[in-house]
Order: sequence, then C-alpha cells, then structure tokens
Amino acid sequence: METARNPIPAWKYILALARYRLPLYLASGLLASILFYLFPLIPGLIVREVFDLLTIEGQTPAAARGPLLGLVWLLIGWGIARVIVIVMAGVAETSLHVVVNTLLQRNLLRHVLRRPGGRALPHSPGEAVARFRDDVEQVPAFLSWSIDPVGQALGIGVGVYILAQIDAGITLAVFLPLAAVVFVINLATKRIRAYRRAAQESIGSVTGLVGEIFGAVTVVKLSGAEEQVVSHLDELNEHRRAVTLRDTLFSEFLSTISYNMGNLGTGVLLLAAAGEMSAGRFTVGDFTLFVLYVQWLTFITGMFGSYLARYRQVGVSLERLLELMEGAAPMDLVAHRPLYLLGALPPLDGGGTPDGEPFESLVVKGLTYIFPETGRGVQNVSFETRAGELTVITGRIGSGKSTVVRALLGLLPAEGRLVWNGVPVNRPADFFVPPQAAYTPQVPRLFSEPLRDNILMGIEAGEGRMDRAVRSAVMEEDLKVLDDGLETVVGPRGVRLSGGQRQRVAAARMFAREPHLLVFDDLSSALDVETEGILWARLFDSPPSLSAGMDPRPAVIAVSHRRAVLQRADRIVLMEAGEVIGVGRLAELMAAHPEMRSLWEGIAL
Amino acid sequence: MAAGAPPQLYRNFLNIYLRPNAPKAAGLLVLFGAVIGLELWLPAILGRFVDQALVGEAVPALVRTGGLFLGISFLSQITTVWQTYLATDIGLTATNRLRADLTRHCLSLDLPFHNAHTPGELIERVDGDSGVLNRFFSSFVVQLAGNAVLLVGVLVLLFTIDVRVGAALTGFAVVTIILLGRFASIGIPLWNAAKEVRAGYFGFIEERLSGTEDIRANGAVAYVLHGLARRARAYFRKSLVADVIGSSAFGLTIVLFSIGGAIALGLAAWIYLEGTITIGTAYLIVAYTQLLTRPIEGIIRELDDLQEAGASLRRVGELLALQPGLVDGKDELPPGPLEVRLDRVSFAYADATEAPDEEEPVENRRVLSDVSLDLPPGAVLGLLGRTGSGKTTITRLLTRFYDPDEGAVLLAKRLLPGLRFASLRTRIGVVTQDVQLFNASVRDNLSFFDRTISDERIREALEALELRDWVESFPEGLDTRLQSGGEGLSAGEAQLLAFARIFLKDPGLIILDEASSRLDPVTEARLERSITRLLAGRTAVIIAHRLETIRRADRIAILQDGAVLEQGDRLALLADPGSVFSRLLQTGLEQELA
Repeated sequence: METARNPIPAWKYILALARYRLPLYLASGLLASILFYLFPLIPGLIVREVFDLLTIEGQTPAAARGPLLGLVWLLIGWGIARVIVIVMAGVAETSLHVVVNTLLQRNLLRHVLRRPGGRALPHSPGEAVARFRDDVEQVPAFLSWSIDPVGQALGIGVGVYILAQIDAGITLAVFLPLAAVVFVINLATKRIRAYRRAAQESIGSVTGLVGEIFGAVTVVKLSGAEEQVVSHLDELNEHRRAVTLRDTLFSEFLSTISYNMGNLGTGVLLLAAAGEMSAGRFTVGDFTLFVLYVQWLTFITGMFGSYLARYRQVGVSLERLLELMEGAAPMDLVAHRPLYLLGALPPLDGGGTPDGEPFESLVVKGLTYIFPETGRGVQNVSFETRAGELTVITGRIGSGKSTVVRALLGLLPAEGRLVWNGVPVNRPADFFVPPQAAYTPQVPRLFSEPLRDNILMGIEAGEGRMDRAVRSAVMEEDLKVLDDGLETVVGPRGVRLSGGQRQRVAAARMFAREPHLLVFDDLSSALDVETEGILWARLFDSPPSLSAGMDPRPAVIAVSHRRAVLQRADRIVLMEAGEVIGVGRLAELMAAHPEMRSLWEGIAL
Repeated sequence: MAAGAPPQLYRNFLNIYLRPNAPKAAGLLVLFGAVIGLELWLPAILGRFVDQALVGEAVPALVRTGGLFLGISFLSQITTVWQTYLATDIGLTATNRLRADLTRHCLSLDLPFHNAHTPGELIERVDGDSGVLNRFFSSFVVQLAGNAVLLVGVLVLLFTIDVRVGAALTGFAVVTIILLGRFASIGIPLWNAAKEVRAGYFGFIEERLSGTEDIRANGAVAYVLHGLARRARAYFRKSLVADVIGSSAFGLTIVLFSIGGAIALGLAAWIYLEGTITIGTAYLIVAYTQLLTRPIEGIIRELDDLQEAGASLRRVGELLALQPGLVDGKDELPPGPLEVRLDRVSFAYADATEAPDEEEPVENRRVLSDVSLDLPPGAVLGLLGRTGSGKTTITRLLTRFYDPDEGAVLLAKRLLPGLRFASLRTRIGVVTQDVQLFNASVRDNLSFFDRTISDERIREALEALELRDWVESFPEGLDTRLQSGGEGLSAGEAQLLAFARIFLKDPGLIILDEASSRLDPVTEARLERSITRLLAGRTAVIIAHRLETIRRADRIAILQDGAVLEQGDRLALLADPGSVFSRLLQTGLEQELA
C-alpha cells in the first residue's frame, strides 16, 4: 500500500535535489564523502614505515632518528591538510542542508496552501509542523550522504589493494567473513523502516498535542483541565518512549555490529597472521598497517550498511511529506524554485489585482461533496446569482451551509458544474480568488502581524482602498480605540482582538480585494445587530462610497439566518440535511416550506 | 559552559529529572565501566601478540592470544548495546517528565504570556528544547564520568610504561581539553541566535497552517511564501555562522590529535631505540594514544552538548522561572448557586512585563471603568452592549484571567484572589463562541481527557442537550476522532459540543458569552429547553448582542464604553418606556423585523 501511494522511488527525489544547486552538492560530496574516506588511509602507511624502520635487522639508533623525525612531521602535516578539508566540507554541507530544507519547506507550504483548504492537513497543525521540521531534515541529511558509496568504494578499493599487495591470503581471510556478516546484517535493516515510522508518528502526536494545548489554552484553563491534558500528554509521551526504545535497540544493535566489527576483524587478523608472523614473513609494520586498516575498512563497510538504512528512513520521511502534498504531482515536492537566501529579495508583486472582465452571472449546478469521515455533506446543490444580487444560504445547523460555500470556492474537492459568465470553471480553487472572489470564513484566522498586514496580506493598496475596506467592514470605531491603529500587532491568531473585531478584520481583508463576488460565511455571529445593520446598509445602500475602483455591482453570497439579511435577499437557498429544498425570495419560501417558517419563527419573542 | 547556564541550574535539573532514575543511572555507570575495562584490555593483548610473534613463539600460543582478543571484543560489543539502550531509556523518561512539567507550567501562566507567544513558539520551547536535553539527561553524567575514568586509566597505563611518555601525553591531554573547551564555548551565543530565529520560523509556519482557507481564498499564497523566504534568509545566515564555528572546533580536534599521535609515535620509537622497551610495548604506546582520542573527543562532545543543552536549559529555566502574575488562593467556593458581585471595578489591559517580546502594549486603554454589578444566587443576568463595550472583559475578570486594577470581584462573598483556581474554574462553566477541539475522540473532547467520567455520564449530558442521536450517528459514536480544525463539524455543531462540556460539570455560575451565536434559530430554540434545565438552581451571566437571547434574564445590565449605562430588573426596565433597555428593545426589534 505504501508503494502504491508513492510509486516514485526516493532516489529520484534525491537526484532532483542534488541537481538543484549542483556545484554546492558536488563540492560537499567531494569534500565530505570522498576525501573523508581516503584521508585516514594515509597515517597507516606512515606508522608502518616507522615500525619497519625500527625492526630492520641491524638498524642503528643514530641512522634511524633522521628518517623517523621526517615521518613524524609528515603525520602532523597530514593532520593540518585534513582540517582544511573538514572546515570547507562543513561550510558546504551546512549550506546544502539549509538550502534543501528551505526548498522543501517552501514547496510544502505552497502546496498545503493551494490544496483544498478543508483537507489541507492530515492531522493537527502542530503535527504538520513536526513533519515540516523533523521529516524535512531527514532529506538533506541523506542528500549530503548520497555520494558516500563512491567514497566508500574508493576507500575500500584502495585499502584492500594496499593490503593485498602485502599479503593477499591474510587480506582474504580477514575481509571475506567480515563482508559476509555485514551483508547479512544489512538484510535485517528492513524492519528499521517500520520501527522508525512508528517512532516518528509517536513524536508527531506528542508535538501535535502540545500545539493543540497551547492553541486552546483559554479553554483548557477555563475548564480547569490542565491536569487532565497533561496526563493525556503523559500517555502519549509514554507511548513515544516505548516505540522509540524499540527503534533504538534495533538500530543500535545493527550499527554496533556494523561499526564495531573492527575489533572482531582484528581478532580474525591475529588468528590468520599468527603463522606468517611467527615465520617472519609478516613484519610488525605490516601488522600495524593491517590493524589500522581493518578498523577503518570495517567502519566504512558499516557506514555503507547504515547508508541503506538511511535510504529507507528517508523514504519514510518522504512518504510523510508527500501525505501533506496529496493531490499534487509528487515531484513538485522537489521542484526547483528560487529561494533568495542570498542576494536581494525581490519585492512582493502586490500590483493591483488585474481587472477581470465584468461579472455577469454565476451558475452552480449539481454541487456535491461528502465528507469521507462522517459520510455527511451536500448533494446536488444548484442555484445561480447575478451581479449586484444578494444570495443567502440558510438552513439548520448541520444542513450543509458552510459546506456549500467552501465547495463552491474550491476549498473542498467537490463535484458539480460552476459556470462564470457563461464559461465553465474547471479549477474553482484557482479561479475563485481575487479579483473574481474573496471570502470571510465562519471562524476567520488572523496572524501575529500588524493589523494592516492582516488586512492587505500582500496586496498593494493606497490609503483610498484601505479606507474603503475599513469603512465597508465598519471598523472605524475599532481603529480609534486601538493605540496603534492599523499598526497594532494583533497577537497570535489575533487573540488581542475581540471575536467581533477579528471578524471585521477578516471582512476588511475581503473588501480590500474589491472582488466581483463576496462570500461571507455567517458574518453576523460575532457582530451586534446594529453593527451588522450598518455593514449591510453600506454594502447595498451606499455603494457609491466604495465603488471607486471596485465593481459597482458585486454579488454577495452569504450564509446567515438573520431576519434582516433574509429579507434583503434577492434569493434564498434553503438547505435541509445537505440538500436544497427551495430557492426563492423569502415570501415564496415562507409560503411553500414549513422549514423556512420554523427557521423564521424559531426565535419569535 | 558558564555562558550557557549557571552551574546551579544544571545541578537542579539533574537532581529533579535524573534522581528518580538513580538505579538505572547507576546500572549505566557500571556498564560504562565494564566497556572501559574491556577497551583498555584489548591493546595490551595486541602488544603481547607482537612480542610473542617476534620472539618466535609457537603458533598455538599465538592463536590462543588471538582467541582471547576475539572473545573480549565480542563481550565489549554486547555491553555497548545494552548501555545505549539504558541511556536512551533514562533520557526519554527524564525528557517526558520535563515536557509534561513545561506544559503544566506554561498552562499555569497568565493570558498575557500566551498572547505574546504563538503555539508554534511554545512547541519549540516545550517539545524542541526537551528534545535537545534528551542526550543531556540520557548519558551526560555517565558519559562524562566514564570518559574521565578512561582518560585517566590510559594515562596511568602510559606512566607505568614510561614516565616520559606518561608525562608528555598527560600534558598533551590537558592542553587539548583546555584549548577545545575554550574554543567550543564561542559557539553558544551563535547557537542561541540561530535557535531563536528557527523558533520564529516554525511559529510562522504553524500559524499559517492554521489559516489555510483564509490565505487561499483571499489570494495571499504568494504573500505568505514571501514572508517565509524573508525568515529563511535570516535563518540561513545565523545557522551558517554557527555551523562554521562548530566545524572549525572539530577541525581543531583533528589537528591536535594528529600532533598527539605524532608525539606518541616519535616517543615510542625513540625509547625503543634506547633499548628499554620491546617493540610490542612501543606498539602499545601508539595504540593507547589512539585510544586517548576517544575520551578526549567524548569530553569535548559532551562539552559541546553541554553548550547546546546549556542554551536549551537556559531557555527552559527562564520559562520555568516565570511566575504567573496571578497568585493562586486557598479558599474553596461553596456548593450551590453563587452570588456574583463586582464592586467599582476598573480595568485596563496592559501587556504584562513577563512578555519578553518588545511588542508595544496595545490594550492599555481602560476597558472597564467603575463597574458595579450585583447578582443574587440563582439569578440570571443579561449583559448587553456593543462589541468592544467590555462584556467579554467582565467574563475574564469573573474567571480570574485578570485581576481588576481597582475595585473587587466577589463570588459567594469571597474575593477572587483568595480562591483556589481549581475551585473557581470547576465551579464556573463558560461557553464562548470560539470552540477549540482536539485531534482526539468525541469522548475526550467532551471530558477533556478525564478518564474518570463514564460514558454513561457523557451520554446523559448529550441526552440533556438532545444531542445523543446526533453523536450516535457518527461512524464510531463517542470514539469518532475529531480533527483539531473541527473538520467535518460545522462551527455551530462544535458549539453544541461546548455546551455538552458544561453539562459534564456541576457549575454554580454559568457564563454564556455569545454561546449560541453560531446556531440557527431552530437549533437555538431547541437548545433553549436544555439551557433552562442547565440554569435551574444556578447563577448565570448571559452575554448577547441579540436581544432575544436574554429573554430569560432576571436582571439586565447595559454596558457602553466600559461603563454601566443602565441596570435593573428586566421586567421593571421593560415596563419603563424611558429606559434604555426598552428603547433598545424597540429599535433592535425594528431592526430585526423591519
């Protein structure tokens, strides 16, 4: 099933990322992957020379001291050369890491934002942040290792060649069994994939809960539920501990065997070399060289083993990232895009939204969306609206009102036909954005930025447009009482504003875009009757005040059950249990539908 | 080290989080000692082998020595795995506790703190920093002690071989540790700076992930990506600088070790040429010097970890040192309906000093001035006023999210600051228009993970709200998982669940703050019946900007710009054509019915 979801092998993503900043990748590969494996072969040769020098028959101390000193200096020179390589490798590797992290995070965020919003995240935002952080990090970590096998092959090849020149028989006797053991062990690493995934999921659920707790901190405190949520956190923590321990035990067992094979190899060497050495055909210098190389070459073999394990792990992380991308072409995760980490950051193109052709009509036909989790949703919703008209969607709670507007806007992947000015809309999610449409959700989200940025969100607007948006959203009074006016920082998710203020900011955000179609999802829930009255009056009764530059006759689709709004409506779409049971003016629906009457009278004084 | 966190802090944390694991930590120490002993033994076997071979001993003797070497190295591997497992276990146990403690502590902090820190930022503090501290707890003390023992052990063995070798390499080890230790601490402020930027970066992402629809449908995707790019640039610079310094420290290690290796090789050869040691012993000196790199590298790495852990520890320590501005009281609230009294209360929001961000105080105007309210036990108060007139602030004072600047708030004749928070908040039930759901089952969302609440009680609460059939229509009933964004539930449905939460409590005061604003009229009418049952024998404050919502009120208070414009008995106000209430009722109703 996993392979069905992700038919593209991980190496293709890695290859695409390697090509993103190829010189950087190659530099990091040469320094960190190739020289890294070759460098440690040198001191073994020097040490061998030293010991052979000492054990030559009839060697006089005076004659030996000169060359000895030269060899010692050579060893120090080697150390300095190695450092230069290591520092350069560090710079290249870090740059590569940050570049690739940023590219992945950017591409992910772009896709999450472009996905039908209601289905944007598989779990909580906190859990998604864990993927943005931890799973993303696995990818460059592997990428910078990806050339390693080349360096490993070179290191082993050169090392084994040198040893075989000295004594091919002992070389074979030492390395054949070691290679076999490492190979068998690596077959077992498949399990790592399952264990690692479970461990990462348990980490994600802990992070997710922490995020949710602080997202809902007021409710938690009000409910006096602090201890309960913490003890739930304890449960998730404990689960995390158990699965992480299992993962650690398993992978540690494998890596200990792989990396620390050196000592076992040395033991085998002692057995194999005993005869030759005793017979004087194998010098002490040869012996020291073998001991050093056995350590290093088995370490390299171990690295190769964990290379395979890492490859599997990066596959797990990629899968988890692709879950965030669902609906997009998988390779878009690694699509090459400019990041502007260096040089000048080009200014945001906030140039006034291009004027679309004038809006005439929107026809909605057979709009259907069913939530897979609950099996509820909306079916076969049809209505139409024209420029300058108010269409109100009403119905009981759970009748599907919000679902209709979200499906219409492409925020849910719905079926059905949408026709704008007589032309079918193929991709509503890309079409119903400014200048065609803008939207105020039922529970709008603000960001911890100044009020002005929350309203504009990147569009360029002169004070004229800003003033009109503020006025349309009935925000003038709010601005007067906020100390910094439009520059007021609203706090995380807008917590420093009241619920009504937040809703008006979101409305101003929509108005500032001056779209052809305004979509309100239950704007009135946080507004008092008076304020809401002013808002509707400004929108419909005094359009000249805001029409400079704006479509003189925007259409409005609003979810509401306010009487004043229902009375104003040019058309009411009456919903019941996910279906439209009537479309028409208030009087018509009141006459024809008991449901409309009970909605109207439900709150009679 | 001193730059990371005061030593006292390290001791405190080790005391609190490692002591409960003392037996396991002791076990770890024993294993570590065993690993060291075995490691020291292995080179000695090699040295003997070389000597045996050179003097031409028989092959079987050499093979026996080889066999011994194999056996010892095998044993040392098993011990190593065991040791890692135990260390991980200890680390996770300690960090789990730390994570829970941090969460609990942050929850105890006041709203001004939470208003200044995004959930994403707190994730990085609570979850990210605990993660960094994992290694610190898991193996820091044991590793440091173990490496010190190994270092001293190797040096002592070298001294027994030859005093000059011992002295030279001891000098080398001391210089190396001092140099590296000094160099390593350069990175601390750089790491801190990089971590701060990183926390902001992920805070940005988290906030945007919670508002995908707003961004998407208002065409602001490019704007958000631009914001991400701006933050990524800052992070790139900071982390590059920190990492370059880090890899230079590693480079210095390599230089020093190659010098150490060269010294040992030269010395060993020199002394051998003097004829005082065998070639096997010369080999042993080289091998032990190689072994020396391990504990030195280990100690440096631990100092390195210590600097990263020190940075995390300092932030965690700062966080834990924050005290809630509101001190918990001792008194309990009596059972039964609660009397509510506000006595000449004035209040202005001021950003608390504990908020570290340099954000300007934004709410320092007075939101309430000289407000007095009286509500006898069991009575219902209807609180009216425009948005921003201070209604919600009154509920925040009643639930003691803030204390008033002047005047007093009393429940059942007790001053709020004297009351235990736990008592206060279990005796007050609040439903607001914003409902937060957890990515958890319906049951957990209703009970807030309180496992002592039986399904039967939850069903009764749902029954009382006439919601039982609705919940049972979910695919898995009470076990159905809800998404934190409320996916699949409308905002109105989420609000009904919030009512059910109240039904699970037995509050003496109920505050409904625009609680039914997202409900349609039919559902609201149905809910009215349940609210009647809920309010029976309880005091209530109902806030609405819709007049019909407060028909059940006994008393009415109308707020304007933070002051009480009018208050009194509802029927009396209704009967008085000159009252603001009756005027409001007429204009309001006209607005609704016009």
